[in-house]
Amino acid sequence: MTKLLLFFRAVARSCGTTRLRLACALAGSVLAFGTGALGASFTASLDRDTVTLGESLTLSLTFSGGAPENPPALPAIRNLQIDYVGPSSQFSFINGQVSSTVTHNFTVTPRQAGEFTIPAVTAEVAGAKLATQPLKLKVLAPNAPPPAAVAAGNEPAFMKLVLPRKEIYMGDTMLAELQLYVRSGVRFGRLQLTGFPADGFNVGKMAEGQRRQMQVGNAIYTVIPVSIALNPVKTGALNLGPVTATLVIEVPSSNRRRDIFDPFGMFGNTEEKQVSLATETEALRALPLPTQNSPPNFNGAVGSYSLSVTAGPTNVAAGDPITVRVQISGRGALDALTLPAQAGWEDFKTYPPTTKVETSDGFGLQGTKTFEEVVVPQSAEVNALPPISFSFFDPDQKAYRTVTQPALPLVVRPSASAQAPVVTQGGRRQDTPPPAQDIVDIKQHLGAMVPVGPPLVQQPWFLAVQSVPVLAWISTLVWRRRVESLANNPRLRRRRQVAQILREGLVELRRLATENQSDAFFATLFRLLQEQLGERLDLPASAITEAVIEEHLRPRGGAEPTWAPLQELFQTCNLARYAPFKSSQELAAIITKFEAVSHQLQSLEL
Amino acid sequence: MNGEITMHQRDRTVDGLALGSSRRTASRFPWAMHASFLTALSAFRRRTLLLIVALHLSVCVLAVCAEPSIAGFEAANKLYGQGKFADAAAAYEKLIQSGEVSAALYFNLGNAFFKAGQFGRAIAAYDQAGHLAPRDPDLRANLQFARNQIQGPTLAPSAWQHWLATLSLNEWTLLAAFLVWLLFLVLAVRQWRPAWKRPLRFTVLSLAVAAGLSCACLAASLGQTRLLRTAIVVTRDVGVRHGPLDESPTAFTVHDGAELRVLDQKDEWLQVSADPRRIGWLRRQEVVVQ
Repeated sequence: MTKLLLFFRAVARSCGTTRLRLACALAGSVLAFGTGALGASFTASLDRDTVTLGESLTLSLTFSGGAPENPPALPAIRNLQIDYVGPSSQFSFINGQVSSTVTHNFTVTPRQAGEFTIPAVTAEVAGAKLATQPLKLKVLAPNAPPPAAVAAGNEPAFMKLVLPRKEIYMGDTMLAELQLYVRSGVRFGRLQLTGFPADGFNVGKMAEGQRRQMQVGNAIYTVIPVSIALNPVKTGALNLGPVTATLVIEVPSSNRRRDIFDPFGMFGNTEEKQVSLATETEALRALPLPTQNSPPNFNGAVGSYSLSVTAGPTNVAAGDPITVRVQISGRGALDALTLPAQAGWEDFKTYPPTTKVETSDGFGLQGTKTFEEVVVPQSAEVNALPPISFSFFDPDQKAYRTVTQPALPLVVRPSASAQAPVVTQGGRRQDTPPPAQDIVDIKQHLGAMVPVGPPLVQQPWFLAVQSVPVLAWISTLVWRRRVESLANNPRLRRRRQVAQILREGLVELRRLATENQSDAFFATLFRLLQEQLGERLDLPASAITEAVIEEHLRPRGGAEPTWAPLQELFQTCNLARYAPFKSSQELAAIITKFEAVSHQLQSLEL
Repeated sequence: MNGEITMHQRDRTVDGLALGSSRRTASRFPWAMHASFLTALSAFRRRTLLLIVALHLSVCVLAVCAEPSIAGFEAANKLYGQGKFADAAAAYEKLIQSGEVSAALYFNLGNAFFKAGQFGRAIAAYDQAGHLAPRDPDLRANLQFARNQIQGPTLAPSAWQHWLATLSLNEWTLLAAFLVWLLFLVLAVRQWRPAWKRPLRFTVLSLAVAAGLSCACLAASLGQTRLLRTAIVVTRDVGVRHGPLDESPTAFTVHDGAELRVLDQKDEWLQVSADPRRIGWLRRQEVVVQ
């Protein structure tokens, strides 16, 4: 085989013209491909052998001189995620030397720091088993850059995690700030968070803040702050970070060529580079809420709040509803706030409140939660809405606080239709709580059952039925147009009338022929001839006689054979007046003759 | 009346084996009617007689088919009455799986779920009942009551959506179809009797406007019920995440019964929103998609 290839190369060199050389070389290369793995090789390579956790690298499996049909399968390696990207092929033809390579690319993403070995990968090419050499990969744990490098302004970009405090109470929410520093003049993009170890925290919304400039060491940096809402889910010492990210920055190209138009490299000649960023690990302590001095109606609210209560109408009859609006404003987890059970509402029938949250920041931590509750005074003795209080733990003051809204005066009139309130011995119904509002009870009757299926509008038969009125309208529209067309065209109308008369007349003729009524037969035949000719000549039917043939038809042209049978029919009718008797067969033959004449007349252009 | 009772008792001895114990709870009307029909048949001609027999048999078949549903419904109601709400809900769901449903069935299922503390499933059942009986005051009261129990972010139906829900999708369909039929029939009449064109002009205009509006409402209702999907949370507390990954941080938390608009789907994850500011992903098994 090698000899054969060498033969083709020798022929290619000896050929006089370029085209011939190329053809020979191509023939040789095709032959080489077709014969498979002769001299095939299989190699594996990584684009770099040391990466930082969070970065991805490319593994290339390259076949030269032949390739398998399917990409080689890679073994599963713990903590290394390997994804197939796709193949690429290269075909080179240099000085008659033909070479072809097929490269299968994989993206390798480490999930843990450490040293990894990608074992030898085997593949079968044209029956031959090929194997790569094992590859070593070192994955470094992400580390924040050394402070000295940061202070010197050497780092093109780095990241910091800033916590407002080192202690946080359970139920409280803290806004941590992730600060991305990018040296002034460095173009950057595609920031991607690759790791946010936050064991023991619930990570909430993230929002980018206002960018600012800051001098760090001898360099000016652009600071991009990203605020992150965090709330602890367990108590004790907790660690946050290191937060890792990748950022693509533009750096001067390392292999730039001299350009006579840009000798100082001012225009472009940059390349994109992905850099790994990491913050320091921050330690903080999640504290449980103190158990001492906890107010009785404390229901877990943490933050700093104020309370306001409004109610209306305040002048009602007993049994009339009053809407009580409780607004809790301030900073904290507003979504989770609930209104604690209040004492002193025994004289009211209460309904579950509806809630609405209005936040003024992007994290839902600052704003107002409104509870709207309908209460119904049960008797005219009620003269005020009881005070409403709300307790919460203030993490800034590290103490419980209770805010109370005093009682709101009410005027409650006796209801005209209300029954007199039942007065118990104690004067107040302390033992009988107000009846709880509940759902309406179940239905006892099954009602009409309907099959489960698509709605009418999605059923083809229903859609088809909807075409009926449209078709009806279109039909009447067409009918109306036709009627109007006939009304405006008297000749057409007469033609149709005559056609109808002829159809009926022929039936009549056949009946008369069968019954052998010769007089009536010829009278009818004469009338039909008159109608037919009258319509064709646009003359009154009564004006048609045998003479019409000579006066009107012959002058208008037409072949003699057309007029002769017509004339014969007229003459037969005339003769029949004097010798009326004819047999049924003869009469039937006349009908046939009449039909032929009538057909000829209808087809004539008169 | 006497004749009907006598015939009913006779049927009972004949059909007792086939119908078993469910006969007691079954509707008695078709079997009494069966007797009346048998005695009245001789008064008709043969073709009419065959037609009547076919109709009568179909009514009887329908009645026999409905018997297990009624028995199952009453059994489920009994479980509900005994406070076995979860069992009652399972019994109602079994009836629904039979392929035929009613508003009362979904209503009772909603009640059973509500009493069992499953607000999300209760709201989903009430919602289904609403498609069959949109103006049932009991249903509306229970749905509102269940929605009032929901804490945290949830979709708030607008006044327009409330108004649109006063008719079911099928009712909007029939209304629109009726108006369109009427419009085209009046147009056809105008062609048939040209003299009526002028007197019917205002009628045609009014019908065209009404048909157009009803078709628009039908399209909106179709969009609300079929195209815009709603996810109802059926687990106690669900963290809605920033991305469709378990490792993705929680954007906000929703509670059992919260109603969310489904925006997108990726594998087992749904992208949902409670309002324009709250968008995130949650697992499909944590919600019921309507």
